[in-house]
Amino acid sequence: MASSAETLKMGKGGLFKLTTGKIILIALVLLLVLYVLFVVDDWHQLWIIASAPDNVPIVAMIPLVVFFTWLGVKQAREHDELIERLEKDPQLAKTHHRKALPWRPGWAREIHVWPYLVRVEFLAALIVTVILFVWSITLNAPLEEPSNPNLTMNPSKAPWYFLGLQEMLVYFDPWIAGVLMPGLLIVGLMVFPYVDSNPLGNGYYTWKQRKFSIGMFYWGFFMWIVLIIIGTFIRGPGWIWFWPGQSWDHNAVVYDRNVDLHEYFGITNVWLKAIFGAVVVGVFYVLGGMFFHWLMTRTEFDRKLLARTSLLQYLTFQFFAITVLLALPVKLILRLLPIHIKYVWVTPWFNV
Amino acid sequence: MADTPESGAIVKREDDAPERDPIVSRSTSGWMLVSALILIGTLAWALYDEAYGQRPWKRAQQEFVARYTRYLRSIRSNAGKSETEVKDSAEYQTLAEEAKAAEEKVADQLKENTGKIRIIDSQLAAVTDPFQNARGRITVANYQIETASDSRKEKLRQKVAQMKEEKSTVYLPADDGSGKTAKQELNFTDLQTLYNKLKIDKAELLDKNGQLLKEPTELRKKRDEYLKNHMIGLTPEQITSLINKYEKGFDYSIKQVNAAGGGVVDRCETCHLGVREPLTIKASDLSPDGPGKKADEWARAFVSHPSKELLTIHSPDKFGCAGCHGGNGRATTSVEKGHGRNRFWLHPLYEKENMEAGCQQCHTQDRVLQGATTLNLGKDLFQNRGCVGCHRSAGFDRESDALASARQQIIQLEETMRANDREARQAKEAVSGVTDDEEGNAEAARLSARAGQLTVANSLVAAQIDQLNIQARYLMQDQKKVGPNLKDVRLKLVKEWIPEWLKNPQAFRPGTKMPTFWRLSADKSHDARAEDDRKAIAAYLWQEGFDGKMPSQDRAKGDAAKGKQLFETVGCMACHSIGDPDSQTGGTFAANLQRVGEKANFDYIVRWIYNPRLRWQPYCPKEKKDITREDYRAKNLAYIYDTEQFSTCPNDGAELQVQNMTVMPNFRLTMDEARDIASYLFSLSGSGSSSFRDPAATTYMDDANLKERGRALIKQYGCAGCHEIRGFEDEQRIGKELTTEGSTPIERLDFALMTQKAEKGIDPETGKRGEEWYDHKGFFEHKLESPWIYDEGKEKEPQDRLRMPEPYLTPEWKTALTTFLMGSVGAEGSNVPASLFYRPDDQRKAVQDGWWVVKKYNCMGCHSIQVGQRSVLMDLPLYQNPDWKEQLPPNLTSEGARVDPNWLLGFLHNPSLSDAQGQAEPGRSDRTVGTPAAEGGANQTQAATPAASSPSNGAQGGAQQNNNQPANGAGGGGSGGNAAAVPATATDAILMSEQFRRQPGADRNGVRVYLRARMPTFNFSPNELRILVRFFMAVSSQQEPYIHEPLEPIKEEEKTLARALFTSEGAPCLKCHITGDPNHDKTASAPNFLLASERLKPKWTYRWLLDPQQISPGTAMPSGLFKKEGDRMVFNGQTPEAFNNYHRDHAELLVRYIFQLTPDEQRRLTSGSPAATSGSPPAPTAQPPPPSTAHARGAKRGSATRLNGHAPARAPVKERARRARSPGHASAARVRRP
Repeated sequence: MASSAETLKMGKGGLFKLTTGKIILIALVLLLVLYVLFVVDDWHQLWIIASAPDNVPIVAMIPLVVFFTWLGVKQAREHDELIERLEKDPQLAKTHHRKALPWRPGWAREIHVWPYLVRVEFLAALIVTVILFVWSITLNAPLEEPSNPNLTMNPSKAPWYFLGLQEMLVYFDPWIAGVLMPGLLIVGLMVFPYVDSNPLGNGYYTWKQRKFSIGMFYWGFFMWIVLIIIGTFIRGPGWIWFWPGQSWDHNAVVYDRNVDLHEYFGITNVWLKAIFGAVVVGVFYVLGGMFFHWLMTRTEFDRKLLARTSLLQYLTFQFFAITVLLALPVKLILRLLPIHIKYVWVTPWFNV
Repeated sequence: MADTPESGAIVKREDDAPERDPIVSRSTSGWMLVSALILIGTLAWALYDEAYGQRPWKRAQQEFVARYTRYLRSIRSNAGKSETEVKDSAEYQTLAEEAKAAEEKVADQLKENTGKIRIIDSQLAAVTDPFQNARGRITVANYQIETASDSRKEKLRQKVAQMKEEKSTVYLPADDGSGKTAKQELNFTDLQTLYNKLKIDKAELLDKNGQLLKEPTELRKKRDEYLKNHMIGLTPEQITSLINKYEKGFDYSIKQVNAAGGGVVDRCETCHLGVREPLTIKASDLSPDGPGKKADEWARAFVSHPSKELLTIHSPDKFGCAGCHGGNGRATTSVEKGHGRNRFWLHPLYEKENMEAGCQQCHTQDRVLQGATTLNLGKDLFQNRGCVGCHRSAGFDRESDALASARQQIIQLEETMRANDREARQAKEAVSGVTDDEEGNAEAARLSARAGQLTVANSLVAAQIDQLNIQARYLMQDQKKVGPNLKDVRLKLVKEWIPEWLKNPQAFRPGTKMPTFWRLSADKSHDARAEDDRKAIAAYLWQEGFDGKMPSQDRAKGDAAKGKQLFETVGCMACHSIGDPDSQTGGTFAANLQRVGEKANFDYIVRWIYNPRLRWQPYCPKEKKDITREDYRAKNLAYIYDTEQFSTCPNDGAELQVQNMTVMPNFRLTMDEARDIASYLFSLSGSGSSSFRDPAATTYMDDANLKERGRALIKQYGCAGCHEIRGFEDEQRIGKELTTEGSTPIERLDFALMTQKAEKGIDPETGKRGEEWYDHKGFFEHKLESPWIYDEGKEKEPQDRLRMPEPYLTPEWKTALTTFLMGSVGAEGSNVPASLFYRPDDQRKAVQDGWWVVKKYNCMGCHSIQVGQRSVLMDLPLYQNPDWKEQLPPNLTSEGARVDPNWLLGFLHNPSLSDAQGQAEPGRSDRTVGTPAAEGGANQTQAATPAASSPSNGAQGGAQQNNNQPANGAGGGGSGGNAAAVPATATDAILMSEQFRRQPGADRNGVRVYLRARMPTFNFSPNELRILVRFFMAVSSQQEPYIHEPLEPIKEEEKTLARALFTSEGAPCLKCHITGDPNHDKTASAPNFLLASERLKPKWTYRWLLDPQQISPGTAMPSGLFKKEGDRMVFNGQTPEAFNNYHRDHAELLVRYIFQLTPDEQRRLTSGSPAATSGSPPAPTAQPPPPSTAHARGAKRGSATRLNGHAPARAPVKERARRARSPGHASAARVRRP
């Protein structure tokens, strides 16, 4: 109760006082209104996509991600406050062992897993079971017509969880988008704990102590969600870009002439192309590395962390960060922008 | 709980009051309880979903059982009532009494026998056990002997003998049935004897009982049969058992048809439980508020199948339901899924109006499908309205396909022959090269044998090629086009009319087959070029339409009134109609002729009516050009070709196309009759009144510059699909093949800019929102409604735009065509496994093939070929008159059983039954007029007389009908076929002399000479003749080839008897049947007996004599001529005295007599017959005769009451009808006179 009172106090700057957050919010709402007014012409189409049993998880995911992000941020802020208080009060820090909630007089010093954690988990299990039951009763498997080998459906879409991967196929060669990138993604996720040299933040939400890690994770996570959303809501027949709310016109045609980067420089020789691409990619890696290094050294805390990090850890992180977190959006933007870059590095064996 | 000293210390430090720890102190039990309850709730929900939610059919089955049993109860009392009623009827009572009496008669005997049997049974019971014991032991012992070593055998045999002697004790009940038993000691042999005797005795008694019961059983059966026949519906017992079936023993389960052999799995009957019920269940029977109330959705789902016959042919156990109806036969979770109404199901349930699309899946090869009215109409339209001109669809236009294939095969076979020749030559050469030793000799022998083989093989191939060549010729003859030949438009059409017509054919002739080429008509195309395009096409057609010497136009008009008579009676109106579109009479198979006079040249129409087959110039498919007089002259040949003999090209010997590709038959009219008809047609429209008659405005049609553009446009629009156009003889169809159109994936149907509207159900015309039409049905319907719809709004060059014209289609026609298209799915897209397709290879195949020809030539315009089918003529106002009803062409429903196939072949080839010169053919139908030797001369003189002198009514009419010589002379333009014999009509001599050489069998009907409607000459190729004859035979289940049944020769005394019967007052056969004597035949209205032996089948004739009404309802032939007497049929009337000692079948005697009738015999009969020669005085009239009331009554009854005097009653009518025609003959003669 007290914590909510405190939050309330924080927001007590007055309802009409413009904060950055409010400005962004108003801007977003304005943008949405404009979007609805000028782009959306076919609510039915939007409803068809959103209501497809196939898409229930991804549709649910949008508010859920927002909600849980908000929840996480809220808790992290409370804990950060607690940390601040404990740092100021060594006496309290000595006796208060709980990291999860701001301390109040009369509270237990420690709380045991049994029954306090297990009962909540059990409750959660019950609720999840109920949700799964209801879900499975109400929504049948979205089976489609008997397949016709002579006719591919259009648009031909994977299940929602693969749509990010499918969308990636637009930007990379199948081998890279379908094998290499997902592989790196998985390996990268497995590697994360080992390149993390920050001992703090275990068992409680915190932002201050793990700014960089959380930032990196959200970068990757949102990137992935956005790809899925593009694949679900935006790609229509012929994998053409339709903004949500536009009709999926099966007769729509677009003409994108995708060009390789070297074409802008008039390079025609095969070897020169390969060398040019290698140089560009190399430069990209150097710049990307510098960018991440800059991110890692912005605060005293971060610099301290970096000092704890071994060279192997550092390089491993840089590799995955540049290859997955940076290269993907960069390539995406290059491809979607009017310059329509198809490949940056063209060699006889592979294209990037 | 978790309070610790430390926390206490902290408390001291703070001023705030201690707070309760939110985690430790808060209880979650409330949450737990609620979640657990919800979980239990969802669990229950899951169970419900499993049991009912996913199985909505359970509810359906419960509903059905409840409603159906209620309905059954409601009808049971009625059934009981009707059963009682039947049982109360006198007939039933008599039958019941008879049965009862018979039963009583034998009851005592039966009782006695039964008593005896009971005693025997008790005796058997006593004997059986000891006997079987003994037998069992002895059998075992015997087996031991068989398997024992030789040394032991003897010993064992002794043992067996001993066993046989062993006595068993039997307590045998006494024979009197007193129940006393006598103890007996019997050895095995005695036992066996006794046992067998008892068995035999019992069998005898049982047999006796059977004999006794025979009569009562039969009577009872008769009684029950009577009840069954007079009860409507089920008996109360049956209904009760049905109720029990549903109430007590109903199994709530998925009812699945599983014909794995055909790959069919079908669960439709899980909900549609009433489909196969023995009762006819209407929706209102099962309404929720009780029988007879308003039906709801359930009730409609529970009805029984509306056509039980269809179900017996297509057993649901084999086909399932979804096979024919569409839908997803496996789905049981919802109505939408079961009906396949979900977006992606390939075979959604057909809408009611398109139901017959399901038939088309398997019956692609059938042109006519019994009962499938809509589908048949769709197929008719597809062919007759010219869809087939642009779109290929399997089965349609078989001739072109077969012709292409034959030509291809010939090329391949010729290649084979060359290869064989080459190999044979090489083999022969190789022989000389082999060494002269044993091995070499063998090799040489092999090589020469091989060479020999190849030579022989080549001769076989040559025979095959010959056959294919003949086929090709026939097929060329059979190829037809929907539209008229445009190679002679100059001769045929009014010049100014052509562009007008192109602009909008519907405006000139509403409902015409010619679709509106809307891109050419200014109002829809929005294209400035439309008018220029029209001009260009007209210019091409005009300039390519006949380039010989234009014949002078002979405008000599005929007698329009007589022409009208002919037009209405001779049979034109079976295909053509007259009158304004909203009030037209006649058939729709061919054009409405109301305004033909405005567009056509009189002379051309005369010639066309006279003989529509003859081409002005033959076409050589090898050279790809029309063969002209010059081609013949270059080879020093006379310019002779015709549809029968001279059909090869003078340049390269290829078969020529010598016929117009039209199905219009030749009515064997005289030239003057043709002129009369044309005059009539021209009198219908005030020629010259039309707005388009402005010759000055059409000078562009002679502009050679426009021609090239015209050619491109004709190619573009595919005009040659329906018309013969010079330069486009080998043009292919321009449209999409539609054989599998119905199974095109929905994504591939190009809705174009209409996609959104279709998906949202927006009507493109009105913009209103309705049913979604993004499906096959919607696509086809909208396309047929307005073909341009999917082309609208597209940015395309004119030549890339849609070319489909707008056909004239009524809403009903659109539904029919949509049904046809939806059903055209091909084997791949079919819902039914291909193994179940209807592809018979027996007689049914002959029926299948036959329909294509029957429909092609519109045989059903005049004849009733299927039981219950009405011909066009039947419904014409003229034939509503009872007198004219008898003038209807014969009913052909049992033609195959009636006639000899060989005769039929000859008749179809030449319905006049005359020889090439137009004479009645000797040895064939000359018998209609007597022996050639005796009658020939007379005919000649008769022929000369009317032609030379002004004919008198009676004589002319008689002669005309009878021997046809005069008619031929009049019509043929000289039977010799040379220019010298051409009559002096003013028509151009070239055309007349060489092309219209003769009209075989002119003005003559072969069999029913008394009919005004004439069986026209269709010029069937031998192929089609064969198909038709086989068709008629197969429809009547006749064997092929036909072998005459030998008839017992008729004896002299039998002849006398038959003669007496033939001429008796009760059955004056010759009153109606023609004999060949002109005087007699004036009043006759039935075929000549002399034709019978050649034409008819004796068995059929026998059945015909017994009950003609059964074979051909409404026939003038009286019924009830014979009655049954014992095992034979005897004449039902005053039998001549001579018959008293004749104990054979009278009808059979007559058949034998008729089949062995000679002309002499017939003359003898006529002289003695009371032939009705009296007639009212001649009163020529152009109107059809007024109905004779006396006769009308007779025709209606058509029964034994008509036995006496029906022919005299009709006589005046006939007389008048005939006379109505004679003025025409007079005028014909006048014109002919030089």
